[in-house]
Amino acid sequence: MTWGPFLLRRVVAFVPSLAALSVLVFGATELLPGDAVSAVAGPSATEAERAAVRERLGLDRDPVTRYLEWAGGALRGDLGTGYTGGRSVTELIADRLPNSLLLAGLALAVALPASVALGLLAGARAGRRADRAVSTGVLLVAGLPEFVLAALLLWLLAARTGLLPQVSLVPLGGTPLDAPEILVLPVLTLAVSGVAVGTRLVRSASAEVAASPWVEAARLRGITGPRLAARHVLPGALAPAAQALGLMTGALVGGAVVVETVFGYPGIGLELQQAVAHRDIPLVQGIALVLCAVTLATVLLADVAARALDPRRGSPR
Amino acid sequence: MEPLARRTLLRSGLLVAATAVAGPALLTGCGSGEESPARSDGKPRRGGTLRAAFTGAGAGETLNHFVGGTALDMVRARALHATLGDLDPSAPDGVRYGVLETIEVNGELSAYTLRLRRGLTFSDGSALTARDVLWSLRSPAEDPASLPVYKNPAATFDFAGARVENDHTLVLPTLAPVADGRLLLCQGNYLVVKENSDFSPEVATSGPFRLEEFVPGEGCALVRNEEFTHPELSDAPYLDGLELRSLPDSEARAAALTGGQVDFAHDLSPVTARTLGEDERFTLTSTSPPYVSGLFFRMNLAHEPFRDNRVRTAFKLAADREAMVESVFFGDATVGNDLLSPGFPDYADEIEQRPFDPDRARRLLREAGAEGMRVTLTTGPETPGMVEVATLYVENLVAVGVDATLEELPAGQLFADYPAYTRLPLAASFSVPTPALPLYQMSYGGQNPAALGWDRPDVDELVATARGTSGEESARAGLAAQRALWEEGNTIAPVFKPFTTAHVPGISGVAEDLFEQFPGFSRATLS
Repeated sequence: MTWGPFLLRRVVAFVPSLAALSVLVFGATELLPGDAVSAVAGPSATEAERAAVRERLGLDRDPVTRYLEWAGGALRGDLGTGYTGGRSVTELIADRLPNSLLLAGLALAVALPASVALGLLAGARAGRRADRAVSTGVLLVAGLPEFVLAALLLWLLAARTGLLPQVSLVPLGGTPLDAPEILVLPVLTLAVSGVAVGTRLVRSASAEVAASPWVEAARLRGITGPRLAARHVLPGALAPAAQALGLMTGALVGGAVVVETVFGYPGIGLELQQAVAHRDIPLVQGIALVLCAVTLATVLLADVAARALDPRRGSPR
Repeated sequence: MEPLARRTLLRSGLLVAATAVAGPALLTGCGSGEESPARSDGKPRRGGTLRAAFTGAGAGETLNHFVGGTALDMVRARALHATLGDLDPSAPDGVRYGVLETIEVNGELSAYTLRLRRGLTFSDGSALTARDVLWSLRSPAEDPASLPVYKNPAATFDFAGARVENDHTLVLPTLAPVADGRLLLCQGNYLVVKENSDFSPEVATSGPFRLEEFVPGEGCALVRNEEFTHPELSDAPYLDGLELRSLPDSEARAAALTGGQVDFAHDLSPVTARTLGEDERFTLTSTSPPYVSGLFFRMNLAHEPFRDNRVRTAFKLAADREAMVESVFFGDATVGNDLLSPGFPDYADEIEQRPFDPDRARRLLREAGAEGMRVTLTTGPETPGMVEVATLYVENLVAVGVDATLEELPAGQLFADYPAYTRLPLAASFSVPTPALPLYQMSYGGQNPAALGWDRPDVDELVATARGTSGEESARAGLAAQRALWEEGNTIAPVFKPFTTAHVPGISGVAEDLFEQFPGFSRATLS
């Protein structure tokens, strides 16, 4: 299959996936305990006051109508208005998303080479001591919830030693890059989690390639060690690893919810957490939809990267 | 009763002015207390930027305090906008005026004349006039999104008939004769905003500080407003700048303090406060009654066993209040007596303290045929200490023979579905500082759903009498109402916890500008 039909197929698959996810997001927020009326009107509001709030928020209409209106707005880039402060949800997300993407990007920049190096090391020596050491190590780290990992790093690098700030306070009027030290702990937490996941994915792909006849042939020709890994195992493992790492990237953006909350980093994850706490339904819906779109987009990019690395991928066999 | 978080209280529209309380005297230092701000020449030191952390909203935050109910909203608004006045029982009118010089009321109690101090200006040098005061009081009443507390004046004053007699004089007719109009207007939360303000960062403000930078959800940087004239202190404000940061999590606020990222952290959890209290680098300050928050449980009278007053009394006697204070708050809390609002002048402290008497509780349950009754106490981490107190209380109930279990909901869910909350058999809640009798009218009497079935018109009448009269008659009715609540009410209020802040050494003058539980910085100094 040539690139044109390949890309068309992927993009066409992207649209219904996002539409299905938007239904899930809308449905899930409908199922949240309580309703926006309770959150906005306050618990002591009379029934008349609650009815007035319900009407003002448009919640007196049926869910299908509201979904269609919301989805139609989303198509035009209008995700509605947040209950808190009455600001545009699209603007709120535009304020916060770059911070989260920066965090995820930096984490990926650390995690990607580390995952490839460790994954290759383990995969090329599958079943041997190096593989067992790497696999056990990443398994241990992968088993740690992100908030535990964050707390450990915080204690070690900030509270105990004072090397880094404990809270990621962005200078007012500036960007996180104006105080790069505030990025270290959140990036490290995400990167360590990412390495744990990524290494296992690369290791799995590498081990499969390392057992292939052409790698065996290379070995018989006397090629071993880093040269074997870099020239014979890595090229074959790159395509499956790219797809797996695409999933990891999506997970990094999603994982920012926990990490941003722990470090008080002003990204989309912290915003989502606060929006849920305040029952700001339009904001919850908007952020969840954008996170879904980002994840789908990274998967799409990973598919494209995998195809570029191995043109046989995506072709009918 | 409903969850009386700050936001809720503002929504409910009853920040009651009826009781003037001694704000500045109510902060007590748990650590070394505030330090002397004086220089060697006796004058407070000028200069420095204080960095403080509060609970704020997310990126949806705006500068319009009429629609924002977080601690950060209130503290920022009082830094940016001058008040009409604050409650002060030691002052002749019961209030300490801000931009006002006096408030005069006519003999028929039908019109209030507000006279402004001369020479007041906004941060851009423009004059602050009576028109700005009228707009500040009137505009929130016309905006459906405004918090109800800011609509309260419209329920008392006839703004359509208001007259601006000159730049310094505003006459507000009342809708009906009112005796406590001064207290209503000078609660500390009615602030003067420039007429027709859109609350954009560029708009001129009247308070001790002016805005330099505002990042929604992250914080704001303020600098001293040189145009501001403090009604009592010619040199105030003393700080060059004030940086207010939004950190929703108590642990994050404490971490920012210990890491040197802020100088002042507001509203800390008991465990965090305990940890910081042991660190000599920081000074811990806790509020005292009445500025305390009640943690309480309410028995639903729709559930059969609780209709028997013997069962309700048994549930009250079963609570080991001292143990809760000691183990959850490490002693830094107040034992409750099943009545809300301790420390306020209308609180009935004549009523004897209810003892911890598990034997009598068992006996009463047996007499009522409720021995071994099953009940689930539902709670959630809505405020620090809430779940821990509920956990201990369930143990207390089990110890007297109740088959009690605890259901802990995730944060933010306890009150999210309020109709469902009002159906719980035994529900946890908390209150914020509000005088006892207005609080009763706001959230308990008149078949309020928050009262979980309490329906006593006779007690409602007593409370109305207490609020509508003065002197002996008022006191007698107030005591009788609270006696009835103590003996027959469905509320177990075992603990009142303080609002605890921590700061680095060298900060002073914050306690002198306290509004409810929120610190002010118009008199603050750094040494």
